[in-house]
Amino acid sequence: MNGSLLDASALTGRRSRRAATRRRTGFCILASVAVFSLFGPAVIGIDPARQTLADTLLPPGAAHWLGTDVLGRSVLARLAHAARLSLGLALLAAVTAAIPGVLLGVVASWRGGRIERGLVMLADAVLSVPGLLLVLLFAVLAPGRYWALYIGLSLSLWVEYFRVARAASRPVLAGDAVQASRLLGFGPGYVLRRHLLPALAPVLGTLLAFSAAQAVLALAALGFIGVGLQPPTPELGLMMIEFLPHYEEAPWLIAAPVALLMLLVLGMMLLVSEGEPA
Amino acid sequence: MTTSSVLLAVENLGVHAGARPLLRDVSFSLRPGEVLTLLGESGAGKSLLAQAVMGNLPAALRAGGRVLLDGVESRAEEARARRSLWGRTLALLPQEPALALDPLMRIAPQLSETHELVRGAAFEEAEAAAARDLDAAGLAASARRYAWELSGGMAQRAAATVACAGGARVLLADEPTKGLDAHWRDHTVAMLQSVQRSGGCVVVITHDLRVARALGGQLIVLRAGEVVEQGDAQTVLASPRHAYTRRLVAAEPAHWPRRATVATGAPVLSAQGLSKGFGGKPLFDGLDLQIHAGDRFVLQGPSGTGKSTLGNVLLGLLPADRGVVRRAEGLSSTAFQKLYQDPVGSFAPSVSLESSLRDVAARHRCAWPGVLQQLERLGVPADLLGRRPAEVSGGELQRVALARVLTVRPALVFADEPTSRLDPLSQQEAMDVLLDALDERGAALMLVTHDEDIADAVGTTRWRFVQT
Repeated sequence: MNGSLLDASALTGRRSRRAATRRRTGFCILASVAVFSLFGPAVIGIDPARQTLADTLLPPGAAHWLGTDVLGRSVLARLAHAARLSLGLALLAAVTAAIPGVLLGVVASWRGGRIERGLVMLADAVLSVPGLLLVLLFAVLAPGRYWALYIGLSLSLWVEYFRVARAASRPVLAGDAVQASRLLGFGPGYVLRRHLLPALAPVLGTLLAFSAAQAVLALAALGFIGVGLQPPTPELGLMMIEFLPHYEEAPWLIAAPVALLMLLVLGMMLLVSEGEPA
Repeated sequence: MTTSSVLLAVENLGVHAGARPLLRDVSFSLRPGEVLTLLGESGAGKSLLAQAVMGNLPAALRAGGRVLLDGVESRAEEARARRSLWGRTLALLPQEPALALDPLMRIAPQLSETHELVRGAAFEEAEAAAARDLDAAGLAASARRYAWELSGGMAQRAAATVACAGGARVLLADEPTKGLDAHWRDHTVAMLQSVQRSGGCVVVITHDLRVARALGGQLIVLRAGEVVEQGDAQTVLASPRHAYTRRLVAAEPAHWPRRATVATGAPVLSAQGLSKGFGGKPLFDGLDLQIHAGDRFVLQGPSGTGKSTLGNVLLGLLPADRGVVRRAEGLSSTAFQKLYQDPVGSFAPSVSLESSLRDVAARHRCAWPGVLQQLERLGVPADLLGRRPAEVSGGELQRVALARVLTVRPALVFADEPTSRLDPLSQQEAMDVLLDALDERGAALMLVTHDEDIADAVGTTRWRFVQT
C-alpha cells in the first residue's frame, strides 16, 4: 500500500512537472496576447479604420511594423483591435455559457426525475443542431451585430457545460461524503461549496479554455465566410479573407492574423494540458 | 532441502526508499504444495514484499536480496529477470479483484485470451479451456457477463481463475478476503488450497487470523518492515513468542471480552410494518422494531440482503415502500448518524480534516476546544488534522469520523461495517473507542457486521438477514 502511494507520487511528479511547464508556456502566450489586445490599440495610437490610399500594401517598416493593407490601413493596429475583439467576445461567450450550463447540470443531477429528463432533452435538442449553424442562424437575424454572435455562441456552448457538470456531480451527490454531510445537518449551499465545486472546478477550468478556443475559431470562421462581423470591423476572419487575394505579393499580411489565431488557440490548449490539477 | 525442489525462495529481501528501510531481511523458502502467510498491520510492508518478489516495485524504491523462482535465481533489484515469468510461473491476485478485471470485456474472452496469449494455446483450445475453468469455478452461467455484473465473490473467483490461467505455480494473493463475509472467505481459502494441492505454492497477505489458521503452513509476522516472528502457522498462532504477535492474536474478535450490557433507556426509534425492495424484488417486508437508548443492535447476513438499506430507511435517507419510522419526540434532526465502511469516502476529499470538523462544530455551535478534547479522548493525534482524508490510515480516520459524529450528540449511530477493513489491533481499538463513546452518552448503536465473533462480543440484540 505504501508502495502504490509512492509509485503514484513519483509518476505524477514527473508528469506534473512536464504539465506545469506546458501550462506556464500557455499562460505566457495568452498573457502576451491579452497585453497586446488590451494595451496595443492605445500604444499604437493609429485608428484601425484610417485609410491612406497613397500607402497601400506597404511592407513591414518603422512606421507600420506589419505593413499596411490594400486600403493603406495599419495592419498592426487592426490586429490589436481584432485580438481584443476575439479574446473579449470568446471569453464573454464562454463565461455566459458556463454559468447557466453548470447550474442546470447540477440541478439536473440533484433533482433527477422529470426535471432532469426535461433538461437533458433540451440539451440534446440544442446538440442536434451543429454549433456553427446555430451561430449562423443568429448572425443572419442581425447581420454584423456583436450581440447576435455573442448570443449564438453562448447558446451553442452551454450544452457542454451542462453535460459535464451533470455527469461530474452525479457520483459526488450519490457518494457517502455528501450523505454524511446531509446527516450532519448541512444544507444544499454547503454541499455545493464543499463537495460539488471542488470536484467540478478542475473539469470546468479545462472546459472553459476549450470552449473559449472554440468560440475564437467560430468567430473567425464566420468572418472568413462573410456572415459574421462585417467590414470595416477589424476581425481575424475578416482580415484573412481581405488579405487572401494579396498572399503572393504581400504574404506577411495573411501571416499576421493566422499566426495570432494560432497563438490564441495554442495558448488556451497548453493552459489546460493534462496532469494533476495544481 | 535441495534447491531443485524449492519453488520460491527469498533471501535477505529488503526494500529501501532512499536510505530509509521499509522492509528488512526477509527470508523464506517454499516447496510445491506449501503456503506462506504474511500477517501484520497495514503499512508493515506486506504488500511491498509481494511487489519486490514480483518485480513491480515503484521506481522510487530499491529492492535488495535474492529471489529464487522455479530454479531461476536473480537478485531482487533485477526486476526484469522475473518479468518474463509473470503469468506463466508467477501470478498476483491483487486487492479488489473486481478492479483487476477488464470492465469492457466479458469474462469468458478475458480468460480465453489469457490461455491463448500467456500459455500459448490455440484459439479453439483456449476457448475450451476457458469454458472448463469457468465451469470448475462455478461461473459457467456468468461466462457472458461483464465484471461489473458480478457479485464481489464471483468477481473474486473470476480474477483468481484468470490469474491462474497462465499455468503459474506461484500465486501471490494480496488481502484476498478483504471485505468478504464468512461464506466467501471460506470459498477463497478453498481456492487457495486448491492451488496448493495442484502442486503450486501460495503466498497470502492478510490480516485475518482465521485465514492464516485455515491455510496453515508457514507464517511471517511483520511489523514496521521487520520480521517479528516466523515459523509454523499453527505453532505461532497457538503460542506466540513475540509481544506484538501476542497482542495481535489477543485482538482477534474471537478473543474479545463480551461487553457488559448497559441499562437501556427511553426508546429512540420505532418502526412498524417496514417494507422496502428494489426493482420489484423485496428486501424486507413487514418489519417491526424498536431501539432504546443504550441498545446495541447487530445486523448480520450475506451481502445484498438489505442490511444497509434498512439502516438508510431508518436514518431517513431512503423512503420506505410501506410502513412508518417514528423518531422519539424531542430528538433533533441530526440525532441519527452513520459511520461508513470506507471512512475515506465519507469526508470531503479536497479539504483538511480540521476544516471538515470545524464546519460541523460551527454548524452545531460546538466550541472548537471541546472537539479537540473529544479527539484526544478518542486517541487521534492533533497533528493529523492538517491532512486530507486520503492521507490518514483507515483506523485513525474512522476515529475522526466518530469524533465528527459525536460532535452532533447523536441518539443512534448506524455503523455499517465500520472496522472490517482494519487489522485486528486497530479493529479492536476502534470498536472499543466507539462503544465507550456511545455508552458514555447513552446512545444506541446499530451495527452491521460480517463477523460472528464481533456480533457475539458486542450485540445486545441480533438480527440475521437471509437470502430469499
